Amino acid sequence: MPQASRDIQRRIKSVKNTKKITKAMELVSAAKMRKAVSRVLATRSYSDLVWDTVLHLVKKLDTDKHLFFQEPKEVKKVAVIIISTNRGLCGSFNATLVNKVTESIKLHHPDVIDTDVITCGTKGRDEIRRRKINLIADFHKEDITASSEDIRPISHMITKDFVAKKYDKIFVAYTDFMSSLKQVPHVKQLLPIVPEIDERLGHINHEKDQVDKISVDNFAEFVFEPGMENVLDAFLPRLVEVQIYQAVLESEASEHSARMFAMRNATDAAGDMIDELTLAYNQARQASITGEIAEIAAGSAALE
Amino acid sequence: MKDLKLKIVTPEKILFEKRVSQVSISTVMGEVTILPNHIPLVSQLASGEVVVNANGDEEDLMAISGGFVEVLPDQVVILADTAERAEDIDEERAEVARKKAEEVLKTKASDAEAFAMFTAQIEKEMARLKVARKYKKRGVRTGITNK
Repeated sequence: MPQASRDIQRRIKSVKNTKKITKAMELVSAAKMRKAVSRVLATRSYSDLVWDTVLHLVKKLDTDKHLFFQEPKEVKKVAVIIISTNRGLCGSFNATLVNKVTESIKLHHPDVIDTDVITCGTKGRDEIRRRKINLIADFHKEDITASSEDIRPISHMITKDFVAKKYDKIFVAYTDFMSSLKQVPHVKQLLPIVPEIDERLGHINHEKDQVDKISVDNFAEFVFEPGMENVLDAFLPRLVEVQIYQAVLESEASEHSARMFAMRNATDAAGDMIDELTLAYNQARQASITGEIAEIAAGSAALE
Repeated sequence: MKDLKLKIVTPEKILFEKRVSQVSISTVMGEVTILPNHIPLVSQLASGEVVVNANGDEEDLMAISGGFVEVLPDQVVILADTAERAEDIDEERAEVARKKAEEVLKTKASDAEAFAMFTAQIEKEMARLKVARKYKKRGVRTGITNK
């Protein structure tokens, strides 16, 4: 066999192997995505209810009293938590997230002097480092975030920094899982708490809000046990924690579905490539056979 | 009779969602029973049991460990850190977990924060045990009455 067609054959073999791998990775991601999605949906109801409670409280309270609700007079220093992935091969997932972060920092807060970044996930960390953005902390991200306790170190740190007035605003950047086809990078303000409906994580129907609103308007005020300060001091950090937890789960679901689609595209591309290479191989083979026949014919013609 | 919409959720799942006639929970200030038209209340929860009473005789037992409760005139939302139904608790394992936490508390609790964490863990396991035993006892009793 001549050299050219042997090379093509080798190429086909290697592309076939790659296709097998990407196909397997697609299936693995699909399975992981299903799991992650069910976890997101389970958590959404909790975070929605927590958020509902906040909305109820806000209506009945003078919210400016608590530090977590106070809008800063001027925003000088902000912190952004970026929830990215540990592994690559998921398309432009991490790049678009980091782009969104830098964009929104520039767009909304031109007067911000300093932005510190806290990362969760190695890919985001590397990207931030490459862009020479101020990175102050990097948290290890588990492949599967088992419970909200895994998030506690992050939420603990940022609430502490916020209370100490180290930062005027704190954001979390994550990828919102809208459907398995659509994931949107999103930057959300964590602190101070902005009590508006559209600020909630995830996408849920707002129909039940109507019902809740009616029941809240019927009475004068809430009783707190043991005391408003105590309850809010315990409740609001919990709210922050839940929101970060929710953001992490959304990101996880998005990551797996992004990877699934990246791998599906890779598998399709490998298929196309194999077709093209097979065609080229057959042409080369045919050409060499034609060449050989022509040689034999010429040889026999010379003998006669 | 008026009833309440009760929801018990944890960050991991919705444990309970039903209309009930009354619910007893242990808050940090002590145990409270909430009936329909209760005054709006927001309270911090302690580790303990939740007793749900739907339509008079049906009772559901659950163990929760910390969290918050929001009471509105016609609905109660329990935002628990963890929650389990009595029938799902393995009594032996809860006992083992409690002993382990106690041991760790004795040997390793060096600073105040760790001490608080382990005490909370012991409280949680105690609550689970209590609920599991109560459930077992009740199960035996109903077994006798059935004869």
